[in-house]
Parts: sequence; structure tokens; C-alpha cells
Amino acid sequence: MTTVLDPTSEVTPVGRERTRRPESLAGLTVGLLDITKPRGDVFLDHIEAAITALGATVTRYSKPTFAKPAPADLRHEIATQCDAVIEALAD
Amino acid sequence: MHDIDDLERRGIPSVFVASDPFRDGAQTQAEALGLNVSRVFVEHPIQDRTDDEMRDLANRALAELLAAITGPN
Amino acid sequence: MQLPEGFVAVVKRDCATCEMIVPVLEQLATDRGLIVYSQDDPTFPAVSDWVVDDTDLVVSWHNQIETVPTLLRIENGAEVERIVGWAVEQWRSFTGVGDLGRGLPEHRPGCGSLSVDPTVAPGLAIAFGGSGLAARRVELAMLEDDAEAMFDRGWTDGLPVVPPTQERVMRMLEGTSRAADDIVTVVPPNLHEISVEKIAINAVMAGCRPEYLPVVIAALEAVCTDEFNMHGVLCTTMAVGPVFVVNGPIRHALEFNSGMNVLGHGNRANATIPRAVQLIIRNVGGGAPGGIDRSTQGNPGKLGLMFAEDEEGSPWSSYSEDNGLAAGVDSVTAFCAEGPHLVFDQVSRSPESLLRSMASQLLSANSPRLTMGMDAMLVISPEHMSRFAAAGWSKQRFREELDEILQVDADTILRGVDGIEEGMPAEFAGMTLPKFRPGGLQIVHAGGPAGLFSSILGGWLAGDKGSVPVTRQVIT
Repeated sequence: MTTVLDPTSEVTPVGRERTRRPESLAGLTVGLLDITKPRGDVFLDHIEAAITALGATVTRYSKPTFAKPAPADLRHEIATQCDAVIEALAD
Repeated sequence: MHDIDDLERRGIPSVFVASDPFRDGAQTQAEALGLNVSRVFVEHPIQDRTDDEMRDLANRALAELLAAITGPN
Repeated sequence: MQLPEGFVAVVKRDCATCEMIVPVLEQLATDRGLIVYSQDDPTFPAVSDWVVDDTDLVVSWHNQIETVPTLLRIENGAEVERIVGWAVEQWRSFTGVGDLGRGLPEHRPGCGSLSVDPTVAPGLAIAFGGSGLAARRVELAMLEDDAEAMFDRGWTDGLPVVPPTQERVMRMLEGTSRAADDIVTVVPPNLHEISVEKIAINAVMAGCRPEYLPVVIAALEAVCTDEFNMHGVLCTTMAVGPVFVVNGPIRHALEFNSGMNVLGHGNRANATIPRAVQLIIRNVGGGAPGGIDRSTQGNPGKLGLMFAEDEEGSPWSSYSEDNGLAAGVDSVTAFCAEGPHLVFDQVSRSPESLLRSMASQLLSANSPRLTMGMDAMLVISPEHMSRFAAAGWSKQRFREELDEILQVDADTILRGVDGIEEGMPAEFAGMTLPKFRPGGLQIVHAGGPAGLFSSILGGWLAGDKGSVPVTRQVIT
């Protein structure tokens, strides 16, 4: 593990921060990424219904295998099409 | 969780759902990735749940999921 | 670090003197209870309970062992005295063992201690806390790529930076005699104090060598003055940034470029030193594009533009002498400028013609419709300079002749004239205006030996409300 010295004036917290969140999902496109373990699709069906009721548009995706990170193409597709993502369900 | 890490780097607020036994492993992964990845845990087990039980799980997880991908900045 | 009472020696196997005195060490272990710390092999000089493993150099480092063998006498937990190397009489009187070292040469110098080995010592200083580095440590996660981590944290200028590890920063700090915790200046726009250490961290990131550090410090001092007005330079929508000229013998010592491609790429000192300054302004001062930096279009020089004057090839005094320094003094001058604009004259042979040619371009500096408000820098290339040198023109004459031509009939550039709304305000009607304020034209000599091209860098607002050039001596 590499340690570096902070080049800034040290007034902000160290470490990567999560990206900005929107205030609400209304009007946004939410991607639901199924990692394709059993029953995950049922879980996501319900999440889809709930989020749609909040005024968001839902797009469904699935990974070819839960055993590896999603392929680059899929990640790119999701990133260009969605404003937020829920990935489920690891068991 | 690599997917979530990658999407966050691209500016897409993302959250990962896993069952309870994944808590510790997820913490370790998050530390290794260097990002406190948003994550929501649901009760184990999953695979033998009925549809109704899955619906309940989803409803109970919803509030946390929304909190993970929306919010004041 | 507590040493045992009595006699203590520090040795390493990889030392001919230590090898030679093994019988001495054995005798002292038996007769005087000597304890031996071994820096490289815990089985040397023997496999025994009087030999202690110091391969992690903890004991050696904390007791400032510089030579092996070192023999110390410890009384009541403190070192009373020590001797280094081998000298038979000295060892005998130190230990009180009169027949020590029989048959051995009278004396033999020791070898370097591993704990002061230059490849090892910085790591020890960091590990044992004596590094003296105060900056916050940032641990990169195991799966983070070092180079990506710099981008992810917003520490770069868009190009990759060198991760500032403690070892690299310690090495960088060797480039200055100043203490790491010395405060150098206050950095706009957020007006944070900056220490030598923090400058060194950003200098590492920029790719500087340790010997560049004093120039980085001088350049930063220059732009952080009220006169240079870095805050204003950042907030303007005009495409300007600091441009630095280096004078003095340091140009050769650090191998700056003052020749071919002088305003371009390819030279480490030219490229990395101003880059360090820019990184400091964004990382410490908070002056990043999109935030405080509002430049509409920017210019490539904002990554960093610094060059050395070709003093030796010039018939004239140097730029730093123009700015009041004695000849031969190392200095950096900061001038707020746009990107370079080419002066194209492939034909003029006479100095008069070339002068008029340059003047016509200078009249367009910033805008042909504006005068007096902004300075400019003229970088004269060697071939162009040869036109003036051959005719025996001094810098004084060049300036005077230029001043005569750089006069504008205000009526030709008033607002609205020629259907152009931009221009000089109506109150200047009827006047003849100098293009530049007195002293506003900076003259520097640099460039490759061949090529009938020079360059003009238009300035920003000059004077109190804008920026003036600032020169700072480089103190190594």
C-alpha cells in the first residue's frame, strides 16, 4: 500500500468521496443491474415498481456472470444511459 | 463492488445490494478500493424465498436504497 | 534506545575490518561481557547469545552509528564514549584489556554503517519517525493504481503527476538548505500559508529534480506578491497566466533551455518548474479552472511556461539586469502573459527594417485597438538579434528607436472607428498614444541559432489594478 503526502492545504477530507447525489429520482433514469444470482430479478422487479411510482424511468441490465466485474461495454452503456444505479443481489 | 466503484468514478451515484453475511467482506473490499461504496444489506437467505417474501425484502430495503442514491450534498 | 550496560559493538559481516577483528570481539565477549549488534548477519561474528540481530537497523539508527566497527561504553543506561574503526592501542586502553588484538595490524579504518547508506537511510528516517515531514499522510488503497489515484483526488493539472511518496519528498528537500517547516509565502486565492515541505510535495508531483527546488521557491514567491497579483490573474476571463524568465549561472547548472524550442516542450527544467508553481496554486491556493480560474479559453502556457534567457549570445545586458539585479545573479522574473504570438520576418536585413517589422506586430499586442494599458514581452531570436548586433545597436538604441515608432494616432483606434466598437475611449481623441507605458515592453533574448522568427507575449492589465513583472533572486 502506497503512502503519499498530501499536496493540498489539507482543508478537505482525505480519500475519495462518493459522487454527488441528486435530490430526488423524479424525472431521472435509474439503471437496475442484475448480477444474475437467483431471485435477484424478483427483488429488482419490486424495486422497479417502487421507483417508477416515484417518477423515475427504469432501465434493466444484467451481467453475464456474477463472478466477475461487469464487462466494460456494459458499464459504459449504463453510465451513458443512467443517472443512478442499483446493483443487486449478492447472496 | 468493482462495478459500483467504476460507476462512481464516472459520476453515476450507485449502490450495491447484498445479503447480511457480505457485510465484513464488503467493508474489506471498500477499504481495498479506497471508496466507501454505498451498500445496503438485506436478510439472508435469498435463494429459497417466496415471491411474497422477496416483495417484503424489497419494500424494507427501499428507504435505504433511496437514501443511498439521493440526498443533500 | 536503551543499550545494555558495559561494552557494545556494532559490526557488519560485509566489512573487512569487522571480519579481521572477530578474535578481538570474541575475547571481549568472554572477558568484558561485550554485546555485539550485527547489521547484516545475525550469525556474525558468531552464533551466540552475545550477538544481537540488528538487520532492521533500529539500534544502529537510533544510536547514530556511522561507521562499523563502532565500540561503545554504556554506563547507567547512557553512552559515555565510543571509538570507531580498529586501532590496537585505542581499543586496549578503551577496554582495559592489555593484550587485545595480538597479531593484528596496528590499525585499519572501518566501513560505512548500513544505517547511513544513502539508499537505506531515508526509509529508516521515515520508518522511525525522524523524517520531519509534517504533511498529512494519505494512504492509497490496495487496489488503487498510484497514477489514477492522483487524478481521482483532483491533484493534477490534467496530465499525470509523480506520486509524492515520503522518500521522494525527502529527496526533494535535499535540494534546499531551508528547513522543511519554513513558511515561504501565502498562496492566493485562498491565502493559505505554504511551507517548504508543501512546495516540495508539489515539486515532486510536477516531476522536478531536487536541485530545481530553489527555483520553484523563487518563482512561487514572485507570483504570490501583491504586485504580481496572482488572485487577479486567476479571476480574469482573459487568457493569461504567469510566464517565467530565468537568468544567471543557474541556467547552466540546471540545464535550462534557452535555445531551440525555448518556448516549447522538451526540457525538464523549463517544463516542470513552472508546472510545480501551477500545481501549488491549484492544490494549495485553491485556484483551479472552473472554480476561481475563470479564463474563457485559457492558453497552453497555463500548464507552465518558463524559459532561460540566452545571455551569452546576446550583445545586450540581461533581462534581470534591466530589472535591477547585478549581472551574474540567479533570478526568476514572473510576467503575466498570453500565449506567444509569432513575429514573422524572413526578409529584413537592415535593423531599421526589422525594427519596423517587429513594431508592426507589437502594435497588435493584445489588440491593435488598445494602447498603454497592457505590457508585452518581446523574445528576440538569435538570427533576428544578429541584425541589430551586426549594426552595433545597443539595447538602449533599440528601445529608443522602437518607442518612436510605437506611437498610435488615437483617432484611428477610437471606439466606433472603422465600424469597430472596441477601442480607445473618446476622451483620447486627437492624441498620439504610446503603445506601451514606460518600461512596459520586456525584452528577452532566446531561441535556436537558425530561424528568422521571434515571439511576442502580450501582457495583462499593467499597474496597480493588474499585474507588474516581479523578479526574485534564487537562493540555493
